[in-house]
Amino acid sequence: MKENAEVIEINDKRYPKALKDALKNLIPSQWPKKLYYKGNWPALSEVEGGGNIFKNCLAVVGSRHLTSYGRRATEQIVTEIAAAGITIVSGFMFGGDEAAHSSAVRCGGRTIAVMPCGIDVIFPPQNKKLYEEILENNGLIISEYEGNFKPVNYSFVQRDRLVAGLAKAVFVTEAALGSGSLITANYAKKFGRKIFALPGQITSELSKGTIKLIKEGAEPVCEANDILSFYKVLVSQKRVAAAPAGATEKGSLEEKILDQLCREPMKADDMARMFAVPVAQLGTALSLMQLKGFINLDNGKYYIN
Amino acid sequence: MLIKVPSVANMGLETILVDIEINLANRGLPGFEIVGLPDKSVGESKERVRTAMVSSGVEFPQKKITINMAPADVPKEGSMYDLPIAVGILSSVMEFPVPDKSLFLGELSFDGSLRHTKGAFLMALYAKEFGFKNLFVPKDSANEAACIKGLKVFPVENLTQLCRHFAKQDQIFPVEYKEEKKNIVTFAEFDMKEVLGQEQAKRAMEIAAAGGHNLIMIGSPGSGKTMLARALPGILPPLNETESLEVTKIYSASGDIPPGGGLIIRRQFRAPHHTASLAGLVGGGSKPQPGEISLAHRGVLFLDEFNEFPRSVMEAMRQPLEDGCLTISRAKQRIQYPADFMLVASANPCPCGYALHPKKNCTCGPNQIAKYQKRISGPILDRIDLHISVMPVDSEEFSNNQENSEFLESSEKIKQRVVLARQKQQARFADEAIHSNSQMKNEHIKKYCRLSKEVEQILRQASLKFQLSARSYMKMIKVSRTIADLAGVEEIELPHMLEALQYKPKNYETA
Repeated sequence: MKENAEVIEINDKRYPKALKDALKNLIPSQWPKKLYYKGNWPALSEVEGGGNIFKNCLAVVGSRHLTSYGRRATEQIVTEIAAAGITIVSGFMFGGDEAAHSSAVRCGGRTIAVMPCGIDVIFPPQNKKLYEEILENNGLIISEYEGNFKPVNYSFVQRDRLVAGLAKAVFVTEAALGSGSLITANYAKKFGRKIFALPGQITSELSKGTIKLIKEGAEPVCEANDILSFYKVLVSQKRVAAAPAGATEKGSLEEKILDQLCREPMKADDMARMFAVPVAQLGTALSLMQLKGFINLDNGKYYIN
Repeated sequence: MLIKVPSVANMGLETILVDIEINLANRGLPGFEIVGLPDKSVGESKERVRTAMVSSGVEFPQKKITINMAPADVPKEGSMYDLPIAVGILSSVMEFPVPDKSLFLGELSFDGSLRHTKGAFLMALYAKEFGFKNLFVPKDSANEAACIKGLKVFPVENLTQLCRHFAKQDQIFPVEYKEEKKNIVTFAEFDMKEVLGQEQAKRAMEIAAAGGHNLIMIGSPGSGKTMLARALPGILPPLNETESLEVTKIYSASGDIPPGGGLIIRRQFRAPHHTASLAGLVGGGSKPQPGEISLAHRGVLFLDEFNEFPRSVMEAMRQPLEDGCLTISRAKQRIQYPADFMLVASANPCPCGYALHPKKNCTCGPNQIAKYQKRISGPILDRIDLHISVMPVDSEEFSNNQENSEFLESSEKIKQRVVLARQKQQARFADEAIHSNSQMKNEHIKKYCRLSKEVEQILRQASLKFQLSARSYMKMIKVSRTIADLAGVEEIELPHMLEALQYKPKNYETA
């Protein structure tokens, strides 16, 4: 990323209101005086109008060693939430954070990555592609550190307070006891934020943290609407932008495919199994829809345009 | 005394008659000499013949023995002349005439027995064409020669047995010509129903097998590419009669028919490792030998880890992929080997392999990926008809869902459809020089693949949208022809073309 970083001071009117409110719970020396960012920070008019990237934020955090269950659940739930227009905030780490960011990006949603390092550093480096995708999708990269500052132990914890502070609620997908995700949850408690947690297996180490949160009063999440109702977006709005209403016949295979792809991107093989049609027939439908521009193929999975 | 024993010389797949002229002179010092451009292995035949005769209880004549191999200007090579030389000397010692219209071939062992020798099938073909009636070959090579109808093939075990046969004390019974069984059990390491998921890849395999199309699979390690390829032989149609003869010829010339083996009736599946040399893969050497691509003639050449093959090896396959044969030119000779194979390649999308993996993170930089992908050249990719990405299967999903088993078709069932589609093609190309849809040239496409307006419009639209090359455009038509054949339909219809588009060349990274 050759793009230059820009900076927002704490006195700026465009400084996120939610974060400012949250910081009141901390001593002033802990306030981030400057926020460095990449991407398009909303203009003043947008901030005052309220319809900006910071309006409805959900922090999604999870273990670095996400299980396949955790990943699937994250993809399923976060995709729907991001598609409904809610901004996903996370810490750009691999595992849970990365799953949250990429789910949001994949469905064209907006997401904010809060970095534990200087604004000019991409950490971890293997997430470079995701970094670019976040910016391409009108997302933001934020850090309180300037330049080439390397991440250190404390900066990860400091980052967590920004993640919790930017969002109205925190959704913990998977966390071991004593993990960084629980630090974010603790900040959220301090800031008076709502906490959601994904129920997991009691046998999994990575579910012990989330189960503890639920015991302490966090709300268990089984579907996207559990969270969306908190944001007063009751039914997730399906994004069927490319395929106009009535473009497909009711009950046809095309409609089933569009319906499914609204929820999550899928492989052709999985769809064939799900709809119990021969893959040859499914391929025919997919090609046609691709030609019409309704869907697209990326990374071996089909997406809605 | 002059004796003449006919044998043959095989140069590549060509066979010529070689007369072994044996002169036993009473005058002069005893000796044994061979002339007529023998190579080292032919020269050493002297020692084998001498010892074998002594072991068989025949006294080796103490005379000046001179052997001429005519025509004298063609280089002779191999161990096959042991038997004709021995027969010549024996006929003089034991005083029996060399039988008329007979050809001899075989390598001798020191104990007088005959060993499996390459080229018996080629000799039989020659015998049939030029009116020879009797063939004397080693017992292990007799089945190979007996694939040709109308010849008496005598399986010779050892010299003693042969002497008794000529002295009419005993008889060697010729091997019967065997009509090959029509129902061949195909052998594959895996059955298609053992491959869980991968429906689209399996379908692509079916199309490739039906139309003889080249295919490339791109996917992460462990996604099942190799397993799919290993299951492929199970759905290949059997060779037809002419194809069978072509393949057996090549294998006989290279000596790859096992002892006792006969006509090759299965399509061959060759899977050379990526360290294969240029000569090993496309053929060559100072005495040009067929390479893997020729051994895969009418069958499958499976190249695992395709982008690990050296660039020179890959590029050398370009011309045979187009022409179906390869001419190896040397200063002394030019040999043409057929090489009409179906290329099945598999490759990783990036050096670490996980660029396409839905869960694992790829750790390769964009430069690395671009460099890795460049190892397969555009012209080669352009010659591949079916491109598929193979994604790893979620094992959890399958352990929980047993009802999916109805979705898993056995190789046998898929093969039935493939065979029917092949029969359709054979009927269609009865008057042409080609066998399968993949071999169609533009003139054939014009003739046999008429597209309706609707279908053509979709194809044009697709080629604009997906930026297909002119060659890819033609390939889409060929593939849709095969899909229509699989469906048992004469005209290429819209669904066939749309399905064909699923297997179009893809951008590697985002396949």
